[in-house]
Amino acid sequence: MEKRNQRQSAKKRGVPGLIAGYHLLPGVPDEMIDPSGAIRPVWEGLIAALDDLGTEEVSARFERADQYLRDAGVYYRKYDGAEGKERAWPLAHVPLIIDEADWVGISRGLAQRAELLEKIVADIHGDNTLVKSGLLPPELIARNAEFLRPVVGIKPASGHFLHFCAFELGRGPDGGWWVLGDRTQAPSGAGFALENRVATTRALSDIYGKMHVHRLAGFFRDFRDALNGIARSGDGRVGILTPGQHNETYFEHAYIARYLGFMLLEGEDLIVEGGQVMVRTVAGLKPISVLWRRLDASFADPLELRYDSHIGTPGMTEALRQGSVAIVNALGSGILETRALAAFIPNLCRALLNEDLMLPTIATWWCGQAAERRHVVENFDTMMVGPAFATGLAIDDPHGTVLGAQLARPQREALLAELVHSGGDFVGQEPVRLSTAPVYLGGRLQPRPITLRVYAARTRDGWTIMPGGFARVGSTPDTAAIAMQRGGQAADVWVVSAKPVERVSLLPQEGEKLVRVSAGSLPSRAADNLIWLGRYAERCEATVRILRAYNARLAEISNPGQALLKDIRTYLGGLGVDATKALPPGLLAAIDSAANSASQIRDRFSPDGWLALADLRKTARSFAQRVEPGDDATRAMTVLLRKLAGFSGLVHENMYRFAGWRFLEVGRRLERAIQIAGVVAWCTRKGAPEGSLDMLLEIGDSVMTHRRRYAVSAGVNSYIDLLVLDPLNPRSVAFQIAELRSQIEQLPGGIEEGHLSLAAKAGLALHTDLRITEPEDMTTAKLNRLAADIGRLAGLIADAYFV
Amino acid sequence: MLYDVRLELHYDYIASVHGDRHLVRVTPISIPGVQRVIASSLSFSPRPEQETTFSDFFGNIVTTIAYTGYHHHLDVKLTARVQIEDQPAAADLSPTLPRLQEEIAALWSLAADSPHHFLAASPRVPLDTAITAYARDIASRTGSVRAAAMELCFAIHRDFRYDKDATKVDTGPSEAFALRRGVCQDFAHVMIAGLRGIGIPAGYVSGFLRTIPPKGKPRLAGADAMHAWVRVWCGVHAGWVEFDPTNAMLAGPDHITIGHGRDYSDVSPIVGVLRTSGGHHAKQSVDVIRVE
Repeated sequence: MEKRNQRQSAKKRGVPGLIAGYHLLPGVPDEMIDPSGAIRPVWEGLIAALDDLGTEEVSARFERADQYLRDAGVYYRKYDGAEGKERAWPLAHVPLIIDEADWVGISRGLAQRAELLEKIVADIHGDNTLVKSGLLPPELIARNAEFLRPVVGIKPASGHFLHFCAFELGRGPDGGWWVLGDRTQAPSGAGFALENRVATTRALSDIYGKMHVHRLAGFFRDFRDALNGIARSGDGRVGILTPGQHNETYFEHAYIARYLGFMLLEGEDLIVEGGQVMVRTVAGLKPISVLWRRLDASFADPLELRYDSHIGTPGMTEALRQGSVAIVNALGSGILETRALAAFIPNLCRALLNEDLMLPTIATWWCGQAAERRHVVENFDTMMVGPAFATGLAIDDPHGTVLGAQLARPQREALLAELVHSGGDFVGQEPVRLSTAPVYLGGRLQPRPITLRVYAARTRDGWTIMPGGFARVGSTPDTAAIAMQRGGQAADVWVVSAKPVERVSLLPQEGEKLVRVSAGSLPSRAADNLIWLGRYAERCEATVRILRAYNARLAEISNPGQALLKDIRTYLGGLGVDATKALPPGLLAAIDSAANSASQIRDRFSPDGWLALADLRKTARSFAQRVEPGDDATRAMTVLLRKLAGFSGLVHENMYRFAGWRFLEVGRRLERAIQIAGVVAWCTRKGAPEGSLDMLLEIGDSVMTHRRRYAVSAGVNSYIDLLVLDPLNPRSVAFQIAELRSQIEQLPGGIEEGHLSLAAKAGLALHTDLRITEPEDMTTAKLNRLAADIGRLAGLIADAYFV
Repeated sequence: MLYDVRLELHYDYIASVHGDRHLVRVTPISIPGVQRVIASSLSFSPRPEQETTFSDFFGNIVTTIAYTGYHHHLDVKLTARVQIEDQPAAADLSPTLPRLQEEIAALWSLAADSPHHFLAASPRVPLDTAITAYARDIASRTGSVRAAAMELCFAIHRDFRYDKDATKVDTGPSEAFALRRGVCQDFAHVMIAGLRGIGIPAGYVSGFLRTIPPKGKPRLAGADAMHAWVRVWCGVHAGWVEFDPTNAMLAGPDHITIGHGRDYSDVSPIVGVLRTSGGHHAKQSVDVIRVE
């Protein structure tokens, strides 16, 4: 009685605004509203709270969530042409709320399913009893591209094939949950689930705080501990193996690596020596014992798996044979995603676990069997027909999977004929209908179909299910599962308990031993990218400074043919920068190169630094559309300079002084030294046009200092003294070399037992030379030689750390 | 028949290479009742820093070698003494094509010699409608699976010209078929594609041929290099039967098997990943001498 009162009052309050016009679709269950039209109890708190806030405040709060995602740089990459584009993460702001009681059923069902899948994949790559006993047709395995013969018979070093799986669920018309697909190859999205949670709670922190929503951190902590547990039995390191920055979900790989404290590695970071996988780091080769892979198995080894893989590690399979590395999930696990396999899951569950499936699988008929094929042909109009060996979800497969009833006559005839000839290539599946949940559209809630992605992780105590995940929300009210192909949004999932829930954080708990990770584990590729990020950022700054000086003079003189202007254009031309354009393409390319280097090491510097760089790039591009040479460009360059300084400042102030920071700093100092030496040589050369020296000071940002220090005896030598030799001027070459020397000596192997590395020796020689040279001896030729020597120093560093 | 086999592979790298790793499949396997490897020895120059040997999915002997340092050449040397058992001429026990499909469907096995592995397209042998039509036309004039394979073997020998310059190691069967030219690898791939196209399981055999023919017999094509032929699953009773389309014959006492696979990619003699700025020159020499 009391409960009904509550429900009615909530309903009464809700009706006027938020859920007015929320019309249930006939025959379709809704997550928020029960069949009688009442709000389900777990939703009452959220709906009442949103309603109290009012439309304006709700919109403002949802905008806050979007702002968070933009600030954090959350993106995924979408390939619709040859070149993938970064897309903002499409957050549906209203979380999907699921009652804990309902969730317990999901959790049990998925733990059972994960256990079942483990047994199936182990058998497929092991003794093959399932085939021998007639439970799995051999054709389904032998023809399968995910059946990796080179790993057949290899027992995973961790003892298991599966450690981390995802499942796509939908709620059918009967109100129960169905499994639409299993993700076992390299499941993505767990990191997005975390970001969804952070963004949603930004908007709804007060409401979230009052409801008993299960936290996600405990799940990640348990999985991290499980992987570290496997690693401790080996040589102790865990890495995330990513296909690289062009992958759809690279952001997530970097995010999870940062969140869990694992190394982010690419295939080329690894080398197999003596059967052991080693990471190329700046401190030499270091063994790694666990790789959480995010790349498809066949790409892992170009020697034994896919010969055309450019992102793999030759010898990886050999390391697996030797048992020296655990790959999670094991190579070969992807075969479980085969769509036709779903047809056999219920029987396999009974055969292997002696139980029925707790969560049903979408009804599937593999047309490689006569009776099943007949069933699909006879019921063609109520079938979803797709490729049997596809590993993607039907709801992600806009081309291959079709509804029988929706085919035009010629296609229908063709498909029916193919079903007879090559039935083994096809599956028929029951076209699932989904439930709906509210999305916020135009100030009101509207029902949209949803599927649920849930994650399972293997821990020491068995499978654990993430209490949450994310819901995919359809873009139209069409609840046929296949309609989800048209894209949509992702919502956070709140599993709500009647009682307070445990709060966990990944920060060490009281009494837990603090573990310090050694600084030596910087992969060489990351170090190389850090150097180039430093160099490109500095190159941009040097170019912008010269362009600003040029455009300021152009504005004054307004005769581009004037000698000094021509001279600067020639100098910039030598750097690949065409100064007749306000925003020369050469400058835009340097900014792109900086961003490209940064994008390969997103796990290594702060989101703020990344945002500053993204902002710089956006600003430069928009300037390129509208800025004119002269005064306009002068102002534009000042803006860019400020943004560059912002980026450098964020990096300098916020980056921990690990080896990574040193490499970035080395890159900056190298480039600045080269740039300054070059421009001083040009402007102080014999026959340089009048006004060159003044401009040089401006470029070197040293006008005031020069006036103060050399008021009486200004001449070419004073400029060289200040910009090249002065150890106290932070823009002089000598200053850069002093810094470089100190950084190089602190790099791994820089000084060992008193002996200098080759790079450290070269740094010392350069530094000493600058310290004892008099300004009058610093001829143009010597300046040019100096720039070349600094370039050689860069080569020595590359030889020592990146090869 | 007892043979001494000697194989030398020689690679000259134009620019030096380092950090390279190779899989080598040149050591002949023992096959009960068919051939017995009495002794074999495989050596490399320069000496690899790492070397391991394992048996792959199809039972082939694979040696993996790796170098970290720089080198300018790679020599692979195999010597082996192999006994080839005499095979009595077998009667054709193979079923009709429709009956073969039933036998395949009744075979619940994924063992390395299960026909299921040899029915679908494989990395180097995509199914090709033109080759399938060619094979179907030939098979339609025969009664049994074995007869169909034999006729296809003869047809390829008749219709194709043995031409070392027409194709390269990575030429696909479709192109070789269009040219009607190629070497043993191309003939084998075309025959495999044709058989699979009409539902007959077919695989690739890599091996050697006797160099000097018995008195009064012609020297077989491909005897001066590594050879390849085809094995065909001719039903439960006949089992695997081997055909050499390059020489229009069944594989016999002059054929020495290195290993089996779905196509060349499963048994390529050497495959490597290396870092270099230049290409390489390759040389190969083979001697298969009968020992009395």
